[in-house]
Parts: sequence; structure tokens; C-alpha cells
Amino acid sequence: MIECDHIRNFCIIAHIDHGKSTLADRLLEATATVNPRLMKDQLLDDMELERARGITIKARAVAMQYAQRGELFELNLIDTPGHVDFQYEVSRSLACCEGAMLLVDAFQGVEAQSVASAYAAMEHDLRILPVINKIDLKHARVDEVAEEMEQSLGIDPSEIIKVSAKTGVGVPELLQAICTRIPAPQGDPHGALQAMVFDSHYDEFRGAITYVRLMNGRVTRGQKIRFLGGGTTHEVLEVGQFAPHKRPCHELQAGQVGYLVCNIKSLDMVHIGDTVSVPGEGAAPALTGYQPPQRMVYCGLYPSDGQDFSELREALEKLSINDPSFDFQPETSDALGFGFRCGFLGLLHMEIIQQRLEQEANIDLVQTAPNVTYQVTTRQGEELEIHRPQEVPDAGDIVEFRQPLVRVNFVLPSENIGTLMKLCQDRRGVHRATEYISPTRAMLRYDLPLAEVIYDLHDKLKSATRGYGTMDYELIGYFPADLVRLDILVNGTRVDALSIICEKADADRRGRAITRKLKSEIDRHMFEVAVQAAIGSRVIARETVPAMRKNVTAKCYGGDITRKRKLWAKQREGKKRMKSIGRVDIPQKAFMAVLDTGNDKK
Amino acid sequence: MFAPARAAYIHVPFCLRRCGYCNFTVVAGRPELHQAYLQALEREFQTLPGPVPVDTLYVGGGTPTQLRARELSELCRLLRTAFIPQSGYEWTVEANPDGLDRVKLDILCEAGVNRISLGVQSLQPGKLQLLERAHRAPDVLRILPLLRARFRSVSLDLICAVPGESLAAWQADLLAAVALDPDHLSIYSLTFEKGSLFWGRLQRGQLQPVAEETERAMLEAAWDHLAATGWDHYEVSNFARPAHRSRHNEVYWRGESYWAFGPGATRYVDGWRETNHRSTTTYLRRVLSGQSPVAEREKLAPVDRAREMLVFRLRMLEGISRVEFRQRTGLELDDLVGVPLRKFVDLGLLQDQHGCIRLTRAGLLVSDAMWPEFL
Ligand SMILES: Nc1nc2c(ncn2[C@@H]2O[C@H](COP(=O)(O)OP(=O)(O)O)[C@@H](O)[C@H]2O)c(=O)[nH]1
Ligand code: SF4
Repeated sequence: MIECDHIRNFCIIAHIDHGKSTLADRLLEATATVNPRLMKDQLLDDMELERARGITIKARAVAMQYAQRGELFELNLIDTPGHVDFQYEVSRSLACCEGAMLLVDAFQGVEAQSVASAYAAMEHDLRILPVINKIDLKHARVDEVAEEMEQSLGIDPSEIIKVSAKTGVGVPELLQAICTRIPAPQGDPHGALQAMVFDSHYDEFRGAITYVRLMNGRVTRGQKIRFLGGGTTHEVLEVGQFAPHKRPCHELQAGQVGYLVCNIKSLDMVHIGDTVSVPGEGAAPALTGYQPPQRMVYCGLYPSDGQDFSELREALEKLSINDPSFDFQPETSDALGFGFRCGFLGLLHMEIIQQRLEQEANIDLVQTAPNVTYQVTTRQGEELEIHRPQEVPDAGDIVEFRQPLVRVNFVLPSENIGTLMKLCQDRRGVHRATEYISPTRAMLRYDLPLAEVIYDLHDKLKSATRGYGTMDYELIGYFPADLVRLDILVNGTRVDALSIICEKADADRRGRAITRKLKSEIDRHMFEVAVQAAIGSRVIARETVPAMRKNVTAKCYGGDITRKRKLWAKQREGKKRMKSIGRVDIPQKAFMAVLDTGNDKK
Repeated sequence: MFAPARAAYIHVPFCLRRCGYCNFTVVAGRPELHQAYLQALEREFQTLPGPVPVDTLYVGGGTPTQLRARELSELCRLLRTAFIPQSGYEWTVEANPDGLDRVKLDILCEAGVNRISLGVQSLQPGKLQLLERAHRAPDVLRILPLLRARFRSVSLDLICAVPGESLAAWQADLLAAVALDPDHLSIYSLTFEKGSLFWGRLQRGQLQPVAEETERAMLEAAWDHLAATGWDHYEVSNFARPAHRSRHNEVYWRGESYWAFGPGATRYVDGWRETNHRSTTTYLRRVLSGQSPVAEREKLAPVDRAREMLVFRLRMLEGISRVEFRQRTGLELDDLVGVPLRKFVDLGLLQDQHGCIRLTRAGLLVSDAMWPEFL
């Protein structure tokens, strides 16, 4: 059995495309964990969707054996998700490591995600192993990038290891550095079992597979364990490590990383960040830092007209077995009928789930515009968590209305600073810092309302910097703001699914933008359609879709009849995919119209 | 189950040249095809079970009178062999004012044609030129007395809302046409059809369509004027003096059966709707080599047939009674379309009185927006 001092637990943090997966492959090869010829490229992120998006969504762990000067080391690479939506999962993964490789592309240099992840690693007291990758590139700017790392993150350039994950240059040095520079895990193999759950996935045949890092004690096949947070007790049917496929073993002990299979039929019993110990008196204390999943973004999902509500529910249930971090509750909307309020970790998470619903379940959805979670303190002293605009109490009942703020790191060419600052000011950003990380690149830090960030800031940043700017953010908390519920009325009827929450000072602009957008989305009807935006009973914007004035086919003789009937029948099919509210047909995508922020105000 | 067809349409695909707005099944300036065409028609007629008794015949185009005199009499001879007009029959031939002469008119008259539909479109020189028509107003004035002397019923086609036309100009044009005292009028506002020259010019921004509001005013002006002067506005675009409706066209709108021959022609027999190939040359090749000219065919389920009938029936302004609907389809109108029906009645687009449904003026103007909900 391997002792703690020969174990190294580490992760790789990198901006997307800087070569994390490629480097992971090289490490697996160099340690003969996989046979290069059998290796499927980039083993670590193997979900289809991840491939499509190039983002590692779910963490994985691989155990590698590495001999150095006759000593055998166990290297555990814990892969971390690369997107802010999965910040909490990242933090739990970091809590399982003693070191982090900070991987930076020799051409791209330091990016926002590198900075954000490096800070997170430092906060967890991880030993940082700075690495510059892709030194084989013709345009590699190794020295400049080293300087950027020094400027932005205080990295000592002499410590940087230079590698090419493509050619393998520098990989042996990197492996050595892992063994010599990253501290061994601390922990008492004879103490009470105490393990951190840092990930899980669902296996159709075996149920939940729980990923753990043992802090103290040991876990053996056949023993009973208890999730301290979840409060459930299970028998361990199998323990093992990933190498990279499941490799069962007799036991895992303090310092090691591996998996547990118990007979757990649903992933929502396995909470990331929870502590595994033994049932009863001898249990270890729970590890700190556990949080239930924080759903930051909510939206309504409704079957489009003529689609089955129960089909949608089944599809959602099936998805949630695999992904307990997303949540759904039945809700009804006057406008849309029966559907679900769904909560997501973030916007990317929302898009992933939606895409799966459409692809895997083949369901035609009406989605309402996403909103963030708000908090309200009422006059009666109640604390409300608001997941949908309809839940906002009357203005008179609200003592305090709070919204989530995030700290955003931008890394961008210095010449675009002005444009970015304007973007952030328009979105009520508070400037926190500007640092120049090289003569041509700067890092800006802003505190911004999450609501302003999730909708379009990333796109706006990309277009303002011709693609060179990057951003990352973390939640800093809920802060009071002057917020109101803005309602949309269509021919005098409030359409609940179109209400939004926004800053009072922005309400006029948002109201105008939304009504204008709706006007363009709603076809002309046989009568005039009025679209109004209102706060309470006060109308702040109005647009009119004029009535159709003339729509009649003149010629209809023998040969025209079939053609006309087919045309009209096709229009009928189109209408079916809309939602009728009152007598107004509203196309599905109009429900997203409220995202039109009316930004880029002059 | 389906009553035998007692109407027949014959499509003659020849024109002198193609008008700018036209996307019909037409070949322009190909007189060398006339002979083959007549042969093909004869072959098509041979597929009929025998001489067919008909109440209406309609020879449309194209420009049937584009055929040379000899060919025209050959066409009439073929028709008289294939069909037996029943007493009180209506036999219409479409004609254009240019290239019409006494000889051709006499041939038609002697064959038994009793109704002429004349493609006048306008009497204003600028408008005729814009429409790229081959005739001028004097041609119309010259030809009308000749028609009157020979045929029971004369119908004129008029077009409104051509680019640049004002409401006043249209009203003058209409009055001039009405002053010619036709028995029947068909009034269409100009549409830009894919496949026409105008379509391309519209896309390129070279033609500016008349504003929707103006177009609406033009139609209403015509409807109002004609109603006030005793015309029977019996279908969206059609107006008749008493006893001069187009009985043949009513067959289409009532969902009754009809034969059809010639390129692009559509027939409706035994519940099958069949359309011949739209390309004249392909049609000729197929028929003359003994193949079927049919390019598309479909048979609707009874419910869909009922819905279709309802829509086209409602385009006739007299509307349809629940009793008639039940007799024709075996279905209850309200079971089929009760919900949209009530909605449109509420909106004032349909009128539901004494068990009869009909379009109101407001409904007529936007009727295309209703039909999807009935189908
Ligand atoms: N030239 C070169 N390309 C590399 C190197 N490492 C990775 N790449 C390429 O960079 C791209 C992104 O790599 P990947 O490992 O998927 O990045 P990840 O998003 O951080 O996992 C891929 O096209 C790799 O082939 C390297 O050392 N040299
Ligand atoms: S005369 Fe009639 S059929 Fe011939 S091209 Fe002109 S519009 Fe078309």
C-alpha cells in the first residue's frame, strides 16, 4: 500500500484551448497509464457535448504510477471543469489537491480564466506549478508570457516549466517537478474515515459512482459508510481508482483519490462537497465548505402548443438523475399553461440542459427568458428567494430587494480598455482594478450585477475586442438595488411569462426595447395589437402592431385551389407552434425578446 | 359517391409574348407548337370514357385566340367531338384584344361559344404599357361591338394597384371599363408572383408596389361603386350582371368535379385532383409518346375535402348554409370549425345569420388570414 508521502494530488488549471486535455494525454502516456496506440485522443473529457463545445464540464480523476529514482509515486490528476457555472465543483476539486499546474499557452498568454482559476487555487493554498505550453509553436512568445504570468499572478519566472504537450518536450521535467515540488497529502490512515466527495456520475448498471479524496482513515469493500451531509448510510460494493478506466482495489486510504460504488439509484443522494465517514459514534467531523448547489439562473420551460406536458416531465426527470445540480418545479403560467420552472448553475448549464432536452428527448420547447435569483425582505420580515418575476411582491411590501453581484476579471488588449469600460458602466459596473500584464494587455476587474453579465456581456466583450478579450467571474454576494418588476401587456392582458425584473432606472429603456422587439416578432393580426410595458399600473412604453389591412388572394380558379390550400395549411402549422394569448399569436422566440436589453444606448 | 364531372377546362398555353406580371403556364412566340398541341389534346381526349355531357366548357390560357383561324376551328371540332354541351350550356373562351379578328370570332361563334372573357386589364395607355400588354385601348373599343354581336355574355378582366397608380386614376379606369357595359367583371389587384419578370424587378427595387392602404382603398372603391350600380359581387374578385355569373368558375368554388386538359391544367374527378405537367414541351412529349401528362395527383380525406370546400365556398359572398354543408359533406359545420368560426364572428369578420355563414366586408379584406384556421 502506497504511503502518503508518495502520493501527489494535483489538477491542471488553464484557459480553454491552452492544451489541458492534450497535456493530460501526454502524462497518461509518459506514465504508461495508457498505451498510446490504444488511446482515444483526449481521454479526460469524453462526453459528446463537451466535445462539441470544447469545455470540460464534469470533473474526472485519473491515478497514474510514476517511478522516480527507484521510488514509486502515485499521481492523481483531478480534472476540473473549466466554466464559471461550475465554480463550486471547481472549488471542491481544488480542496482535494495539494498542487495545481497553471498551464498557459505560449502564444495566447495569460487569459481571464487562467487568472481566475489561479486565484482560486491560491485561495485553497495549493502549490502552483507554472507551465508554459505549446513552446513548439512558431509564434511562441515564451519570455513575454512568462513576464505576463509574473505581472498578473506574481509567478517567479525561474519556476516556470516549458513544455509542448504536442511533442512531449518538457514532460519528463514536469513529472519530476510534480514529485519534488507539490507537497504530499497530510492525513492519518489510522484515523476515522473522512473523505471529500468531489464528483459523481451515473452509471446505468451500477447506479451512482461517487468520486472521493480520502483525507483520513481508509475505506474498504463491504464496509458501511455514511454521507454526513446527506444523512444516508450505504454499503460499499466496490472501491477503486480510475486508470483511466475503473480499476477496483481492496481499499483506499488517506491521501488517495478514487471511487466508491454503493447501491445508490439516484445521483441526488450524492452531494458534491459532502463528507463520507462511518455511521455512528466513530464518525469523523464533516469537512468544511459544503454547499447545496446554487442555482443562479432560472427560466420557464413549457411544451409548445400541442406537445405533451407529461413527456416534458419525464425528460426532465431523466436528465436530473444524471445532473442533480439542475432543479425543476412545476409551474403554471396564465400565458403558457403548464410547464416547469427550472434552475441552473448558470447560463451555459441552462443551454446544455436545453440542448439535451431537444436532442435526446426530441421535445419542442417554449423557453422564457432566463433570470437570476433575487432576494426580497418584506415588510412582514419575511425573506423571499425570487426565482421568477411573478413572485415579486407589491412594491409597497418590499423593504429590501437584493440582486447577486459578481466580480468579473477581464483580460484584453489595452487598446480596447475604453470600450470595455463603457460596456461595464452601462451595466452599472463598479471598477475595482486595472493592471497591465504586458505592454499590450491589461486586466480589469469590475463588480457587476450577475443579471447584466449573463445575458450578453461575453458576446459584447468578444465583439469589442475582435475576439481577443476573455472574462471570468465569481459570485461575491447579494446586494440591495433599486429593482422593479416590469410587466408586459398584450392587448391589455398581462403576459406573466414576459415579466422581467430590472433596475428602476433602466425600466424605461428596457420597456421600450422589449415592446419594440415584440412588435417586430408578432405578426400583424386581423385587429390591432397593443404591446405595453408597465410598472404596476403605470404604462411606460407602448407599441402597436397595426391591424392587417388587406390580405386576400384575388385569383382562385381550378388550378389554384390545391396550391392555396397547401399554403394555408402550412400557415396553420406555423400558427400551432405559437402561443395564443387572448387572440394574439405569439411566436416562441418572442418569449426571449425580453432579453433585448436596449443596450448600446448612446 | 362523387357526382360525374359536367364541366371541362382546356388550357391553351400560347401567347404572343409574356406580360411582365405573368407566371402562368404559357409559352410565348412558339406558333410552331400549335399543331403538336392540338394532336396532344386529341390524345388526351381519347382517355375520356366517351363523349362527355357538359354544362360548362372553359377554354383558357394563355391566349386561346393566339391559335391561327384554321387551328382554332380544329380545336373547336375536337371539343365538339369530346363533349356534348347540354341545353343551356355556358362555353367561355378567353381572348386578348390584340390579334382578334372577325374570322376567328365567327369560328368561335359558329362552334357554339357563347361567352368571351376579354383580357382588357386597363384602358389607360401608361398602365397597359407598364403591364407590358400587347394591346391599347382602341383595340378594345374596336373589338367590343364584334363580341356583342356574337356572344351572349362578355366579361372583362381589370387590374388595379399597379406601381404608381393613384386611387383617382384607378377609379377613372374602372368607370371607363364599366361604361363599356360588360356583362361580367373580374377585378384583381396586381400581385408579384415568383417566376414573373416583375418579381425580379421588385427584388431589385425597380418596382415600387402600391401601399397596402391604397390597394385596400382601390378594392373598396371598386366594390362600393359596383354594388351601388346593381352589380352582383358574387366572389372575391368577380362581379356579374343578373344571370351572367361564370357558372364554370362556380363549379370550382363549390367543390364540384371538373375535367381539365392541356399543360398545367388541373382536373378534379372522383375526388382525385390531378395536375398536368406545367412545362408545355414536357406535356407535349409525354402525351405524344403515350405517357400520362399528370405530374401531381392527390385525394383528400373526406374531412379535409370538407374543410377545403368550406374555404372556397366562403370566398363566394353568398356564403354557405349549415344545411347545405351537411348535405354536401355529411359533416356538421360547427363540429368541424366551431371554434374559429365563433372567433371570427366575434371579430366581425364573418356573419352567422339564419344558419348561414358569410364574409363581411371586413372579413373579405383579410380573408386569407382566416383560412389557415379552417383548414
Ligand atoms: N502546437 C501545439 N498545439 C497544442 C499543444 N497542446 C495543445 N495543442 C493544441 O491546442 C488545441 C487545444 O488543446 P486542448 O488540449 O484541447 O485544450 P483544452 O481546451 O485546454 O483542453 C488543440 O488543437 C491541441 O492540438 C502544443 O504543445 N503545441
Ligand atoms: S396574355 Fe395573359 S397568359 Fe398571356 S402572357 Fe399575358 S398575362 Fe400571361
